[in-house]
Amino acid sequence: MKEESKENLVCGLCAITSVFAFLLVWYLGCTFTALGKLLPDPITVLIGMWGYIVGTVGKCSLLMHALHSLQRVLIGFLIGSALGISLGLLMGRYRLARAIFNPIFRVIRPIPPIAWIPISIIWFGLGETPKIFLIALAAFANTTLNAMTGAESVDKTVINAAKMLGANEFQIFTTVVIPSAVPSIFAGLQVGISCAWASVVAAEMVKASNGLGWIIQAGMDNNNMTQIISGIIMIGLGGFILTYIMRTIEGVACRWNRSGR
Amino acid sequence: MLKKKKWGYTLASLVSVVTVLAAWYICINVLHLKAETVFPGPITVAKTFFQKLYTKAPDGATLLVHLASSLKVALLGYALGVVFGVPVGIMMAWNKWVDRFVRPLFDLIRPVPGLAWIPMFILLFGIGIMPKAAVIFLSTAVACIVNCYTGIRQTRQEHLWVGDVFGASDAQKLFRIAIPTALPMIFTGLRVAMGAAWMALVAAELLAASEGLGYMIQQGRYSSKPALVFVGMLMIGLVGLAMDVVLHWLEKKVAKGMNAE
Repeated sequence: MKEESKENLVCGLCAITSVFAFLLVWYLGCTFTALGKLLPDPITVLIGMWGYIVGTVGKCSLLMHALHSLQRVLIGFLIGSALGISLGLLMGRYRLARAIFNPIFRVIRPIPPIAWIPISIIWFGLGETPKIFLIALAAFANTTLNAMTGAESVDKTVINAAKMLGANEFQIFTTVVIPSAVPSIFAGLQVGISCAWASVVAAEMVKASNGLGWIIQAGMDNNNMTQIISGIIMIGLGGFILTYIMRTIEGVACRWNRSGR
Repeated sequence: MLKKKKWGYTLASLVSVVTVLAAWYICINVLHLKAETVFPGPITVAKTFFQKLYTKAPDGATLLVHLASSLKVALLGYALGVVFGVPVGIMMAWNKWVDRFVRPLFDLIRPVPGLAWIPMFILLFGIGIMPKAAVIFLSTAVACIVNCYTGIRQTRQEHLWVGDVFGASDAQKLFRIAIPTALPMIFTGLRVAMGAAWMALVAAELLAASEGLGYMIQQGRYSSKPALVFVGMLMIGLVGLAMDVVLHWLEKKVAKGMNAE
């Protein structure tokens, strides 16, 4: 126990030292070299970012922009993952469903969601719909594949045992196939949420009037480096929080799985 | 019997593809549910594809020229990212001190999606090949580091003890035991990185470029030629798929017998 806390202390000290050293290099680089003309030093960024949180960037404060992005991600992610999981489970369990949908899915999957941005703007205009469509697509592609693998790799013995005990197909699907696909589904959701977050940023960068992607894009248009870096920090923070939440849900939902291993 | 069943599934796949194409054709070209300027029919898309092979309108280069310029940037950034990311990932997993100092910094950068750096890099490096290569470098390096790190960490303690017993030096243990163990994981990293790199490139080209596939679809949108957008998207998907197939083939060659899938 004591050994462990000592290890933690050393790790913490190293972490602080390296982050501090990085900030110091950044600061010195900005003050003493030509880099300072392009890049604001960390203190300026911090003050600027505080100003954005308390005051406004564009129409609302930095946190409100983050909420706008978050709202889009959540709506799109819910739609996309619900569709993806159901289709993936069907495709994994029934060969006929796979024969029908897999060729089409295979054409769509390798196209990165970002490449859909121009066409989704042509189809849905400039409002919320194209963004939600994109995020749903990003979530869909990742979850389908994982749900399919999960439903496919169910232990045949378990299915046969259920059959022997007189379970009908519906019961097998809901009580055997779906639960055993859950860990794999969560792996897909994990990838899906970070992909969805990247997509919302890209979509907002191309066309939006609020959101974190808009912040960095507007920062580029106004040549305002502080705004860009604040945006990047918030995007990183948002991505971190989303994956953290996802991991917590996974920990609760798959508790049996981890203890089983 | 079994063969017959397999034929049935292939038939189902064929029927589904044909049905989708037919439905697409009927909805657009026969029923005119959507105008061709919004949702082009399959024939228009095919025609645009063949035309684009030799015409330069409306975006100033043929399809293959766009493709070549995209590939050039992607491969440059990717190669740099791999050369940097793989050794850093391996060092972080192998050496405790490198891990303690580098990981906190890495954890700060990791949650930021690669394409969020685009505006900053454009301001820093201008609109040439540099900002795109830098974004791809970053996306590639992050994916490589994560996977190499996990791969090396999977090395079984027993195997290292065997090395110790036979008097292996630290370098020998790394190159003879840890890296071969990690090779499948490293290859997964290379493939994930390729996907991330390609996606980041398309995003970068959508925002600021004068050639490349992303630029082509953006121009297709501006000149309201959705067929061109379709061609670009399919091309992006196809190239992404092709690169993945090549890497998978390489993985099978190099990591033969090391539980490669």
